[in-house]
Amino acid sequence: MNRRFYSTALLLALLVGFFACEEGETPIQNSFDRGEMLENMAQNLIIPAYTDLQTRVGALESSAESFTQNPDVNSLQSLQAAWEAAYSSWQYANAYNFGPAGEEGIRRSLLEEVGTFPVSEEKIENAITGTANFNDFNRDARGFLAVEYLIFETGNSNATVVEAFASQNRKDFLLGAVADIERRVTEVLSAWNSGYASEFTQNRGTDVGSSTSMLYNEFVKSFESAKNFKLGLPLGRRPGQTQAEPQLVEAWYSGTSTTMLKEHLQAIERIWQGRGGQGQNGPGFREYLQSVEGGAALIEATEAQMTAVKAALEALPDSPPLSEQIQLAPEPADRLHTELQKQTRFYKSDMSSLLGISITFSSGDGD
Amino acid sequence: MLLVLTGTFLANFLASIRIEVLSNKLRERVRATPFSVFRGVFGLLMAFGAARFMWLGWIEDHYSDPIVHFHYWGFGWVEPFSAEILYAIHWVMLLAAFGVMLGTRWLYRLSALTLFLTFTYTELIDLTYYLNHYYYVSIVCALLCIVPSPPSLWDREARIPRWVLVVFKFQIAIVYIYAGLAKINYDWLVLALPLKIWLPAHDTVPVLGPLFAWSVTAYIFSWFGMLYDCLIVFFLLYKPTRIWAYLTVIAFHSLTGLLFQIGIFPLVMMGGTLIFFDFERRPQLALAPKAPVRPRERVLAAVLLLHFAFQLIFPWRYLLYEGNVFWTEQGYRFGWRVMLMEKAGTATFYVKDSQTGREGVVDNREFLNPHQEKQMAMQPDMILQFAHFLGTHYAEKGVQDPQVRAEVYVTLNARPSRLLIDPTVDLMKETDSFRPKTWIVPFENNAENALSQ
Repeated sequence: MNRRFYSTALLLALLVGFFACEEGETPIQNSFDRGEMLENMAQNLIIPAYTDLQTRVGALESSAESFTQNPDVNSLQSLQAAWEAAYSSWQYANAYNFGPAGEEGIRRSLLEEVGTFPVSEEKIENAITGTANFNDFNRDARGFLAVEYLIFETGNSNATVVEAFASQNRKDFLLGAVADIERRVTEVLSAWNSGYASEFTQNRGTDVGSSTSMLYNEFVKSFESAKNFKLGLPLGRRPGQTQAEPQLVEAWYSGTSTTMLKEHLQAIERIWQGRGGQGQNGPGFREYLQSVEGGAALIEATEAQMTAVKAALEALPDSPPLSEQIQLAPEPADRLHTELQKQTRFYKSDMSSLLGISITFSSGDGD
Repeated sequence: MLLVLTGTFLANFLASIRIEVLSNKLRERVRATPFSVFRGVFGLLMAFGAARFMWLGWIEDHYSDPIVHFHYWGFGWVEPFSAEILYAIHWVMLLAAFGVMLGTRWLYRLSALTLFLTFTYTELIDLTYYLNHYYYVSIVCALLCIVPSPPSLWDREARIPRWVLVVFKFQIAIVYIYAGLAKINYDWLVLALPLKIWLPAHDTVPVLGPLFAWSVTAYIFSWFGMLYDCLIVFFLLYKPTRIWAYLTVIAFHSLTGLLFQIGIFPLVMMGGTLIFFDFERRPQLALAPKAPVRPRERVLAAVLLLHFAFQLIFPWRYLLYEGNVFWTEQGYRFGWRVMLMEKAGTATFYVKDSQTGREGVVDNREFLNPHQEKQMAMQPDMILQFAHFLGTHYAEKGVQDPQVRAEVYVTLNARPSRLLIDPTVDLMKETDSFRPKTWIVPFENNAENALSQ
């Protein structure tokens, strides 16, 4: 019985092998060069993003110096503008938390070190009166959003802010916080410029720790954090929340949440397409998907949903600030959250499955 | 009439099985060398495995850091000890592995039992990390507990009953053949999936890598893999082909080791199949059994018969469920379905307060590590467990009588993702059992799936 079965199986194998070879006359699956994608990502997206960020953080630093030397409403306004520019630029750099921007020892990812929100007003005020240490665990007392707290007043009264800066301690803390951002960003950028870029492009596999896997993981995390933390939490969409908590939005003091969210989602789309800020278009995840089994269908589904997300984003007015909208008329924000939720699976599981990217250290053999 | 004929035939058939001949054959005393090699290599690898587990920091990652653990059905009471105790357990496991490798008499017996208990305990902590290979290791450890105390590793003249060898060979045969039979399906053989996904993803592998971009390679690998699993044991049993078969074993498992992150298991299989060798040039005559059958041996025989009957039957339980076993995973585990499909899902959980009607969306990462989330999001029983965890958790947080539902989209072998379970069902009202899970959306109901591309 067994023997007959196996000889039949063998025969079948030969037959299928034969047919497969027939098909195989044009056998190369559109082979995709991950190295090229990584090169494009490094040269056209990541390094330009950090370079731009560094420039703008540099501008923020000089504005902060002018402001502290001569605190008035004018110098405050230019400081605020510099902050907005730098923080917008950060939206394009916040998705690459690996390698030099990843965790190392007690240092957490660049995102956590400079982008934590909401900040703790209490901790910041304590640090101002006490001694500021920008290397401790109080990540909610430093970074862009701590600076934002210092220089913006939700009531929009710049005069009060200027008044508060009569204190030398406050000035020192502001300068220290900005310098801390500057130091961290510069560290990451110089690592990319001095060798990490080639390490990144040469690590061409798909296993855990490969560049593709790290880039992909951070891409998904970045997308999910936009959905969960910039919208879901403030909207009160977490279980256990009994109402909206608008003070949890990103960039609450400056009221620029909507702009920042739009920039963030724009950055995500660029990674998907492999398109740089100046429009340079090279291979991204989209092109990678084109080369694999089932990829065309996924691209279609993803982009259809992207269109829905964009429509929802368009429908979200720039003013009043997101925090106010959440209280007064949460529907547009809610709809955007729902559309992003629908987008999640395409990025999160479909893509890694089709591309065969490992996201954990050991593979379960059920998959 | 027919009944009588059948009856007579059966009676004759049963009478023709000369059980005493079979039992005599199995009780004959043969050289112990193959078993010595087997336990030596197995013990060494287990020691290495335990050390590796600690070295990689997996005790924290797998057991002590996660907030939630997924339980095996019927083992809900197994919880991880503190990290310190888990480290101690792993050290004990490591020593026990050496005991299995080198020990004799009480030391061997104690080591085998300890190895079985410690290893199986750590496996039972969290369903997330289930691997067929771990299951195999647990079974081998259990079998090692019941074989007669082995002679010294270096004693080349020593004898053991033939059944000791047969038991391990039979277990290995089941693993391979069932793994092979599982590969006889449409996706694996006709579509060459999931290898069409996995191979191109590994085109950076030295030498072979460039070939992986060709779809014909996926077909060859799929068919070869199926035939290998189905047939390898027969070639290992047959002396003239044995050495070639073993070289194939090495090639096959090296390749899977290269392609998949499956740790030391390629080595475990390469080591395990050594039991098919005699390691003797001199022809060996089997010696007659020492003594007549003792009652203890009868009990042992009954236990082994039960074990192998279970091994042969249990993997087929999936036939009792409707629907595609890859999709529903009802009866999927413990069936030697190894690296058989590419499946992944995104599971979004909604928790609703029954009083206020307010519904919130859960951020899975708040509770699960990436590995747990990945495994949970495609396996209905794990989805149910997580839903119950969430219900309990949020009830403590003040959500009144929480209702938990899940929107789970799963992609199977590169097909567009579809709903795996009914997103309207309150999972708090469902319990896990061997009964069919009616809240799973059948694979066939998804139009795109039914077409199979």
